[in-house]
Amino acid sequence: MSNLPDTILLRYGELALKGGNRNFFEKILATNIATATAHIAEVKVLRERGRMTATLRTNPERIERVAARIAEVPGLSSLSLCIPCAADADTISAMINERLLEMFEFASPDAPRITFRVETKRADKRFPKSSTELDLYIAERLPESLWDKLQVQLKRPELVIGIDIRAKGAYVYFGRTPGLGGLPVGSQGRAVCLLSGGIDSPVAAYCAIKRGCRVDFISFLSPPYIGEPTRQKLIKLVRKVGRFQPKNRLHIVPFTEIQEAIRDDAPEAYRTILYRRMMQKIASRIAFRNRGKAIITGESIGQVASQTLSNIACIEDASLLPVIRPLIGFDKLETIKIAREIGTFDISNEPEPDCCTVFMPHGPVIHGQIEHCRAAEENLDMKGLIDRALKGIEAIDIDTDA
Amino acid sequence: MNDSIYLDHAATTRVAEDVAATMMRALGPEFGNPSSRHPLGSSAAASIEEARRAVAGALGTRSEGVLFTSGGTEANNLAVIGFSRALRSGKHGAPSGHILIGPTEHPSIRASAASLVEEGFEVEIMRLTPGDKSGGLDIADAASRLRGDTVLVAQMIVNNEYGTRYDIARLSRAIAARAPQAHLHVDAVQALGKIELDPAGLVDGSVSSSFAVSAHKIHGPKGTGALVLSNACLDAERLPRPIIHGGGQQGDVRPGTENVPGIMGFGTAIGAATRDSAGTTIALVTARKALEAALAEHVPAARVLIPWSDESTSSMAPQVVSVLVPGAPSEVWLHHLEEVGVFASAGSACQAKKQDLSPALLALGLTTEQARRVLRFSFSSSTTTADCIEAARRMASVSGSLARL
Repeated sequence: MSNLPDTILLRYGELALKGGNRNFFEKILATNIATATAHIAEVKVLRERGRMTATLRTNPERIERVAARIAEVPGLSSLSLCIPCAADADTISAMINERLLEMFEFASPDAPRITFRVETKRADKRFPKSSTELDLYIAERLPESLWDKLQVQLKRPELVIGIDIRAKGAYVYFGRTPGLGGLPVGSQGRAVCLLSGGIDSPVAAYCAIKRGCRVDFISFLSPPYIGEPTRQKLIKLVRKVGRFQPKNRLHIVPFTEIQEAIRDDAPEAYRTILYRRMMQKIASRIAFRNRGKAIITGESIGQVASQTLSNIACIEDASLLPVIRPLIGFDKLETIKIAREIGTFDISNEPEPDCCTVFMPHGPVIHGQIEHCRAAEENLDMKGLIDRALKGIEAIDIDTDA
Repeated sequence: MNDSIYLDHAATTRVAEDVAATMMRALGPEFGNPSSRHPLGSSAAASIEEARRAVAGALGTRSEGVLFTSGGTEANNLAVIGFSRALRSGKHGAPSGHILIGPTEHPSIRASAASLVEEGFEVEIMRLTPGDKSGGLDIADAASRLRGDTVLVAQMIVNNEYGTRYDIARLSRAIAARAPQAHLHVDAVQALGKIELDPAGLVDGSVSSSFAVSAHKIHGPKGTGALVLSNACLDAERLPRPIIHGGGQQGDVRPGTENVPGIMGFGTAIGAATRDSAGTTIALVTARKALEAALAEHVPAARVLIPWSDESTSSMAPQVVSVLVPGAPSEVWLHHLEEVGVFASAGSACQAKKQDLSPALLALGLTTEQARRVLRFSFSSSTTTADCIEAARRMASVSGSLARL
């Protein structure tokens, strides 16, 4: 009897609620899982009623790694590593007991009891015992030495011992690892995200990705004011936040000429807002090219001078697409918490300048007015500036697992 | 002279051609200091990050947990000294905490731990299971030694002298239950590229762990290794205290201008060494079985210390074969074998010059006289069955005179 897990049971989050579209969501999810794990092993994903299983066709010893990677794929509520077992009550009981003895081998005698329940699911109704009967059968045969270590508790137990009876045999699993939640990436179409190098924008991208958007990244660089280290930092950020979606492209837009024009020919107090309006216009154009339907930004109300409601209005006025701000109601500390969880915080904190620090205005406007912005832009060769910037874009495809 | 047969891969390996080619880039046009702000610097920094991802990818960890060092010895020092100091309770000189190390550890672990005694740490050594012919670790005994003030447990995963694979998973469960505050350090220098080294699969999820690896055992360059921190270790925001101090590189945990050529070479080597772990295992087991069979046929008086069996897959790493040779001491055998073009070693190469005997061999229950007669043959995935058979034949050609000594 092999005692190693060979299958990962995957449970849906919100997906389970989707009615008619479920097939569409499931297909995308299965593809995303296979893509995310391809560098570890060849993984076969099977759709079943209401859930999925993943099995490894190569490198079976890497199942834990595969599971950890799948836990980063949006669209799953939880997963469990399943140990294969003959569909026979005594064999299942013996296997569970062996595992439990192993788990509790070193537990100290005075450690508090662990609450547990057995949870049987029968896909194969020919199995001679009902689910409840098997639950009881297993619980009654726990080894005596564990009686003072375990305690049955049906509601919210610490340990769930799962049994899955199928036509070809049974699976046994211990506990569940939480999945990321959210929706399969791609199920909600595409969007572009303005990535600055700061703490907020990668978190905003993560939020949109988790909700099923395939996100393309856009950054603005002003060489020679801003150098290669900033470019490398942006790549590192995409590598981190990008691992939640199957494919990643970073568009680096040359921004020097635009910044110099605004410095020379526009009111100083409006510089930052005008930079950002330009970014919206260019991002909209890039989104059109990539079937993007929205612009994601890391703005949150009142965080910095450019993020007052009036200034947000001035900036959004330049966009040709809906601007989505997942962090709008977040406190900085809430954003930082997520940034740490997804691993972007330390990278964002690397002290590389971004293009907004170039020609920073003395006394930026706090409550900008849209008419003033539009008027200022009339003095600029908007079409020429934007076209040249678009022409100079460097698109980098980033493999987050290489 | 005959073509030489190199069966000393546990000591070191030949640098692979693609590794050398990668390194030549850094030795030539890509010579920048990774901390420099110009493109030569940035591209060196990007190359290092690429290698960092390759090392992290091979172990299934996050790249920020990879600390490049000057080799396995420094990685072991950084882990043992750095984590013990980071997790110590008392002030310098006062009782500081308890350290538990394996019975067969490499000197870089044993000596690092010993150096901490004067700082107030108490060092204890685990033991092998009495009477276990495959040399397994006595984990029940280890568990009874774990305490509330244990800061560090250091246990190698693959024995460098006879290939025993220790049950790190079970040891980590003992730590989780008895000393959850402790850090588990695993010397994985002999295991890298030979068995799957994923902390998530090897170590209880609640235990913070680190792994020491070295480039020159996997056809990479000498002078490069890494201490790899597990995701559990990173999640607990646990870092070793630096043992050398400098200018902020690698988060100041291991400062010093990075060894760019070595690190780039390591990145290339580790990718190749870990790409097909199942295939590598098959090649190594095949070579090992061939050597064991050929020895039985040609040098029947020699005894393989831990012969390979079907159960060995979980308790042994296949690439190291230790042989108790008849008659002459191993040193004499080595020189006779080199005359016929077979390169092996006695005990571990780092100790070959020392007079004292290998604690690992003694821990296995050998007498001192027997411990002086142990030869070690070790393979890489490039070792062929033909090499092994020919090596045994050549051994037979010198055994006539030596066995009678």
